Amino acid sequence: MSQTQTDPRPPSEEQADLSTSDGLVARVRLILSRRTEGRAVALLMVVWVFTLLFEPLVWTSYEVTLGRIALVGLVALGLTAVILMGELDLAVASTLAVSGVIMASFDSLAVGVLAALATGLIVGAVNAFFVVVVGINSFIATLGMLFFLRGAAFVISGEAPVRIADVDAGIAFGQPVIGPLTPRMLLFIVAFVALYIFLSHVRVGREFYAVGGNRQAARDAGIPVVRRVFTGFMISGFISALAGVINTLERTAADPTAGSTVLLASFAAAIIGGVLLNGGRGSVFGTLIGASALGMLQVALTLSGVQVDVQNIVIGSVLLLAVITDPSSLRAAAVTARGLFRSRSERQPTG
Amino acid sequence: MTPKTASGTRTLPPAAQVEQELETRAFKLSEWMAQQGIFLFTAVLVLFAVVFIDGFASLPNLTDVFNRAAPIGIVAAGMTFVVISGNYLDLSVVAQVATAAVVLIAVTNAVGLVPAILFAIAIALVYGIVNGIAVGVFKANAVIVTLSTTFIGLGLLRWLTGGSIYFGESDGPIRTFGTTRIGPLPLAMILFIVVTVLLSLVLTRTNFGFMVRAYGSNREATRLAGVNTPLVVIGAFTMSALGAMLGGFVLAAFSNTAVSSMSDGYDFRALAAIIVGGTSVFGGRGSVMRTLLGVVFVSVLTNIMVLSGLGFGFQQMAIGLLIVLAVSVDALARKTRAA
Amino acid sequence: MTAAADAPGGQVPSDGDTAPVIEARNVVKRFGGTVAVDDVSITVARGEIHGLVGENGAGKSTLMRVLAGVLAPNEGEVHVDGALLDPGDTRAALDAGVSLVHQELSLVPEMTVAENILLGSTPTWSGFIDGREQRRVAAEALKEIGVAVDLDEPIARLSVALRQFVEIARAIARKPQVLILDEPTATLTPAETEYLLDMLTRLAGRGLAIVYISHRIPEIFAICNRVTVLRDGSLVASKGIEDLTPESVVEYMVGRDLQLDRESRRQDPKIGEVVLSARGLRAPGVNDIDLDVRAGEIVGLGGLVGAGRTELVRAMLGADPRTGGETTITLQGRTRRIVSYRAAIAAGVAYIPEERRSDGLALTMTVVDNIALPNRSALSRAFVLQRRRIAEFATSLAEAVNLRPPEIHREVGQYSGGNQQKVVLAKWLGREPDVIVLDEPTRGVDVGAKVEIHRLIRELADQGAAVLVVSSDLPELLELSDTIHVVRDGRIVGVLSAGEAEETTVMALASGQREVDAA
Repeated sequence: MSQTQTDPRPPSEEQADLSTSDGLVARVRLILSRRTEGRAVALLMVVWVFTLLFEPLVWTSYEVTLGRIALVGLVALGLTAVILMGELDLAVASTLAVSGVIMASFDSLAVGVLAALATGLIVGAVNAFFVVVVGINSFIATLGMLFFLRGAAFVISGEAPVRIADVDAGIAFGQPVIGPLTPRMLLFIVAFVALYIFLSHVRVGREFYAVGGNRQAARDAGIPVVRRVFTGFMISGFISALAGVINTLERTAADPTAGSTVLLASFAAAIIGGVLLNGGRGSVFGTLIGASALGMLQVALTLSGVQVDVQNIVIGSVLLLAVITDPSSLRAAAVTARGLFRSRSERQPTG
Repeated sequence: MTPKTASGTRTLPPAAQVEQELETRAFKLSEWMAQQGIFLFTAVLVLFAVVFIDGFASLPNLTDVFNRAAPIGIVAAGMTFVVISGNYLDLSVVAQVATAAVVLIAVTNAVGLVPAILFAIAIALVYGIVNGIAVGVFKANAVIVTLSTTFIGLGLLRWLTGGSIYFGESDGPIRTFGTTRIGPLPLAMILFIVVTVLLSLVLTRTNFGFMVRAYGSNREATRLAGVNTPLVVIGAFTMSALGAMLGGFVLAAFSNTAVSSMSDGYDFRALAAIIVGGTSVFGGRGSVMRTLLGVVFVSVLTNIMVLSGLGFGFQQMAIGLLIVLAVSVDALARKTRAA
Repeated sequence: MTAAADAPGGQVPSDGDTAPVIEARNVVKRFGGTVAVDDVSITVARGEIHGLVGENGAGKSTLMRVLAGVLAPNEGEVHVDGALLDPGDTRAALDAGVSLVHQELSLVPEMTVAENILLGSTPTWSGFIDGREQRRVAAEALKEIGVAVDLDEPIARLSVALRQFVEIARAIARKPQVLILDEPTATLTPAETEYLLDMLTRLAGRGLAIVYISHRIPEIFAICNRVTVLRDGSLVASKGIEDLTPESVVEYMVGRDLQLDRESRRQDPKIGEVVLSARGLRAPGVNDIDLDVRAGEIVGLGGLVGAGRTELVRAMLGADPRTGGETTITLQGRTRRIVSYRAAIAAGVAYIPEERRSDGLALTMTVVDNIALPNRSALSRAFVLQRRRIAEFATSLAEAVNLRPPEIHREVGQYSGGNQQKVVLAKWLGREPDVIVLDEPTRGVDVGAKVEIHRLIRELADQGAAVLVVSSDLPELLELSDTIHVVRDGRIVGVLSAGEAEETTVMALASGQREVDAA
């Protein structure tokens, strides 16, 4: 029991009693009410129903679906770490592109992979520098970085796809290794588990919530906020670079224009998964559910022959819907709506 | 009964005075950089280009610079309203410019010029209102909102056009607009200047522009002064949308063609022009005239790169860097101002 | 850590043990040109509950933050257990055993109770959180203060009172020798307050030294052994509780030779009909309030910080959402319900908010822009601002409020606090408001500007405006108001007319020292 049973008189609320006959129900309800993934679950349910009714291929060719979820979900995981601290990383997609290009421009695959991952870490550190040391808003700092890296990817690649040195290794990388799981899916699972443990059981990761939830309190409690922000951005940079490496290997070539859809889909996955843009709230589970819903949706649309453009419309709408259905957004809108409604009724004087 | 909290009862020790003076001096430098630096930088850049870059100072090249600057400048002039209102930027101009260009040419070919313009205006209003409601009423993050409307808008455009290129009639009004010159100046250039002056007047002289500036300076004080703040945000995004529409018209007229990918890079070029011009990304400070100067700077810089054989990639890198540096200067100026 | 680190563990102080645990010597703390704490020395012994009282702005919170190492004093030093404390080093103060319970809650809303209690000192096992140890320490701290709360509950789901207790548990978990509490009961109900006071007595009984800051006199007398009174940054009394009475404490707090400038008070003001009226007003922090302000009348709202006065006026005008009740404005026999803030402004209300810099002014804009903001419609034709008219308008208003220097094209941020406040007044004066609501109109304003602001407020009332003033500055409240309503815990606890109001009566009502026929 997580109760400290001491003085029976203290000023606690009724909710504390979970040991009675309704205890289990209350407990379940309590656990549910603490979760932030509601909207993602709702979207997932809708996608499930629709795919079961109209596109069961999504379920039968589950390797494709899983691959897609891993693609969307991996970048979203890194993003989750940054958003939890109340910051944004718009540079994820270009980090993905540039690291792929860097990897492909080395003759040795191993060196290329290492260089790509190092690029991700450096990009994250530079982002964090501008955000916490210079004091620029993270949207703008990472937006500048987005343009810079997109340009860098073009420059390094000579504005054309670059083939990797060892094409066979790339082809092998795309094959399942355990059951139907390809290395991409395994890496996604590893990243998910690692990040889950990091954010919930490692002190540094858990303190991300404090940095995002109440930065002043975090500072007062002696948490090194600057270091935490650096860590977060570097995680995001690293994971984006990892995604770039995986993409490049699977396609056996690096595409300097890669990742524009990934940016949108990963933001949509994290935000609909309940990760609060202002920081401090959310979980990698939410992101996973969000990524699953979006991945399945994309696969279903693709299988139904819907073009990429329409998929972008759908995912863009999901993202727009996700930001405006955030509880704080709904509250803000309710206040405005009340004001509008009332100023109309006010025109008839009462006396 | 006089409390000691009244100022002046205790004078500062000499050391503190010196410190204060030093702070004032630092304040002036970074402040000057953020406010006036653009004049110096533009002059230096132009001078550099004239002296060192072959072919920069030729009439055909300068005309080309201005022709390219016109659509970006008009887009940036409109987007300045969003930046000054403290909502960072409007990424969706990319989708809006392309949509306006395609609508202008495709609908003119099919129905006529006037319906095309009316249709484009309707689309611009939809963009302004959707972005404005999401940001102003729902208080959602402008970057995320306009990112999603970009994808929705571009997706719709590409889906409906199938990515095809539209050519205007070879003797139609659009062609005429794109090729007409008054003296040495192309009509598009004149339109750019007229729009800039007009929007500058809207921002500085009208009730609406005033509220946009006030809102960007202090949202809560503006609300408490009785201003309908959601409407101000919707208005700012609508100005941005109308600017993007006109920019799209000019872009289409320039080549007498339209395709959904023709506006790539307009988002960050416009933002770079606005920020480099000295409009603060934190809202409240800035002007459309400054954006004009920023457009000149960004256009000349791009031209120098093109003439030096540096491609699109290098241009993007340079502009990304420019944005981060300009905002850094702004952030440092703010810090010293607050100290 | 010292031997006393486990003091709350049950060590009972011997009666003779009066060696000070914490001692502040001749502390001076300045903010810019303002002296917040002026040469104050206090000592607190083991097992002692030391009350620190004073009016709003007397310097209590500053002194406390110096004690806890949050602020470095300009002069003087703090000793803990005889050892000098590194000034301004929060960490060192914590390590020396000084724990501070903040006035503003400093918890992380999405983290659990256990995590918050150990925030910043989370027990780990090679980087991984030691959940069992975390819960054990948290449970122990909660047990120490005798509060039952689910350790896994996120803070966001707790009531404000429970959060306050978690905050205390967090301080206790650090095994302090000295516990400093700043207005811990401000948000608590009477029952919760009583529980907190019992808890503190219990903790002191085990040897903890407690500094208890409050302006609620009954609480001070319920638990404190010693009381130090601050006024305008200086120490005016430091005595054992047995040498004090509630009345004497209030006198020390107010302490002025009541040389009220009664001359400057308005002589028989012409008071008309009720203009601004609230009935059954409810909002967070506002409990069922009825309030009337008449034409030509200045109504003062007195009370302590956090009593709900700002919430009351904001809810009244619709600036913040209200949960119940209604506000009406009656002018020329026509009554209008005020259903939104903009409706209030349209009906002729001017509102001068408490936070001038964040809510009152656009600091990066010029004086003329700020003055034009609420008057923009009157000063524009067909949506175009008439700049010459605006400049004339602003110049005349800047003159009327005596802005110095009267440079209307200067940024407001470059002016002093007093001049900024004059700009806030000027922008509303231009609308010739029928109702004017001012929240702390002279806070952070120099004496000269204060006199002028008072003159302006009186003139407005003389011209027939209904004026509502919130002020924590007692002499100001008494000097300005025709009627004073004293607010405590979101309720009006007393209505005093200008003649009968004394500083001590207002303070006694506000601090709950006296319950008066709340008419």
